[in-house]
Amino acid sequence: MTIGLSTYLIYLAISIALTIWVGRTLHKNGRVFLVDVFHGNEALADSVNHLLVVGFYLINFGYVSLVLNLGYTIETAEQSVEALSVKIGMVLLVLGGMHLFNLFVFSRMRRRAHTHQQPPVGPDAFTTVQQEAA
Amino acid sequence: MLSLTVLYDIECGLCRRAHEWLADQLKLVELNFVPCASDEARRRYPQLNHDLTKQDLTVITEDGWVYFGPKAWLMVLWALARYRDWSYRLAAPELLPTTKRVVSAISQNRYQISRAAGLSN
Repeated sequence: MTIGLSTYLIYLAISIALTIWVGRTLHKNGRVFLVDVFHGNEALADSVNHLLVVGFYLINFGYVSLVLNLGYTIETAEQSVEALSVKIGMVLLVLGGMHLFNLFVFSRMRRRAHTHQQPPVGPDAFTTVQQEAA
Repeated sequence: MLSLTVLYDIECGLCRRAHEWLADQLKLVELNFVPCASDEARRRYPQLNHDLTKQDLTVITEDGWVYFGPKAWLMVLWALARYRDWSYRLAAPELLPTTKRVVSAISQNRYQISRAAGLSN
């Protein structure tokens, strides 16, 4: 196996492992947020959580696959380590960005779900209500 | 707040059409429609100024809080699943003056609008 091919394989192994780790963390810890957003409807929360994680995996694996190509030949172990650090650094930054975006979406959904229980405007007056005759 | 009572003008074609449209909408809060200044309205709300309710739409919560005119329209929007977001947008400080002007203009000219649209009796 050439050093170039091993570099690609190491890159893929590390990127896939990192993506799965972040995806599982999101899946496990995002659930609590979503259950709160959907007012305790756990079935809906689980469904949305799963769909979000699928989207996360698709975007990340798509990115990992797109930037696989180095565009030059690797001849020494030193070049291999350098190439790996650049590629994995990029994958980490994208993962970090996606993770923060996910948190932003969760907290926004949660805030909306809470504030939207209140009427948009305050009342003008108060009147007594005659209860229905029993 | 589980339900809102809407006092509307039964003599206005536009209001009756709006009532029919509202009946078909998915609601987050129950809406009860009572003609304004009717016996039913006077019985339910003995202390309310019923002459005023003839001038513009009035919404009353179960606990007796009264929303009048443009605020009543916003409360009706807020009750609808599809338009709750819009009620907040239209009630935002930047848009509220425009909302009030437009809604008041429609309310004050509702008989003319009904006639022009062919909705009167």
